Amino acid sequence: MRNFNFLIDLPVRSEWANVELLRISILNCFTVIFADLQGCHTFAMIAGELLENAIKYGQWDKAEPLLRLRVWGEPHHVSIEVENPIGDGSQPAVQELTRTLEWLDGFSDRESAYRARLLDIAASPREQGRKSRLGLARIAYEGNCNVSAQIMGDTVRVTAMMEL
Amino acid sequence: MTSSQTANPTDPAGSANASQTRPETLEGLHAGDLRIDSQLDTTVTPPALRLLWTGRSSDRHPASVLDPYFVKAVAAAVARSAAIELHFEKLDHFNSSTITSVIQMIQDALERKVRITIFYDHQLKWQKLSFDVLRVFAKGDDVFQIKAV
Repeated sequence: MRNFNFLIDLPVRSEWANVELLRISILNCFTVIFADLQGCHTFAMIAGELLENAIKYGQWDKAEPLLRLRVWGEPHHVSIEVENPIGDGSQPAVQELTRTLEWLDGFSDRESAYRARLLDIAASPREQGRKSRLGLARIAYEGNCNVSAQIMGDTVRVTAMMEL
Repeated sequence: MTSSQTANPTDPAGSANASQTRPETLEGLHAGDLRIDSQLDTTVTPPALRLLWTGRSSDRHPASVLDPYFVKAVAAAVARSAAIELHFEKLDHFNSSTITSVIQMIQDALERKVRITIFYDHQLKWQKLSFDVLRVFAKGDDVFQIKAV
C-alpha cells in the first residue's frame, strides 16, 4: 500500500491495564490498514513493550503526568512513539535507556543483540523484582526496527521506526 | 497478577488414554488473561509433563506468579522422571517480562537434567521470531529442543 499516511495521537492514563487495551487497539487499527496480519501483531507488540517501559520507568508523581502514544504511517515506514515524564527519581532508568540503545548500536545485527540479552538473563541470578531489560532488544529484533530516544527537559520520547 | 490454580478438565470421552494422561500431577494456572493447563502423559517414554499455554501474558510482574509455578513444574518433572513440554501454539501474546520467566525455567530444568521441549505454531510469525531464537540455549543434544508444529 503506497498511500496510507495516518496518525494516531493519544493521551493515555498511566494505568497498567491500558497497555493491553492499547496493544489490542493498535492490532485492530493496523489490521484495517494492512493485509499482513502477522506484521500487525509485531506493531502491536512494539506499542505494548514501549508503553510498559514508560509506565514502569516514568515519573508519575507530577501534577499532570502525561503518557502519550503516537503511531504514524508514511509510504515506506511506520513509527510508534511513546512519551512519558521523567524526573530525579527516574534518572537511573533514563541512563539505563541510553546505555541500552548504545549497547544495541554496538551489534552488527539485531538478532545477535537479542541473543546476547537472552544469554545475559539466563546467566543472571533469579531475584525478586529483577529487570529483564529485554523489551527494547525484543522491539529491535522482532520488529526489525530502529529504536531511538529523545530527552527533552522533563520528558523522554522513545521511537521505534520500521521500514516497510 | 492475581492467580488461581485450577484443576484441569478430565477427558470427557473417558478413553483408555485418559487414565494415563493424568491432570492431577500439577495443577493448572489461571492468572489474568493467561491460562496454563497441565497434563502428565505416561503413554510416552519418558513421561511428558505438558504445559499448555492459552490467552495472553501481559502482567506487570508475571514472575510473581510464573516463577513459583515453574519451580513446582520442574520439581514435578524431576519427581516423575518426566520431560517437560511447553506448548505455546495457542498463546496469543506474551510480554518480555514473561519471556524472562520462561528463560529462567529453561535454565532451572536444564540444571536439573530435565528434558525440555518448546512447541510453537510455525505459521505465526511472532511465535517463530520469539521461540526460534531460544535455540541459543541448545547444547547440540536433545535435552533442550524447539519444535515448530
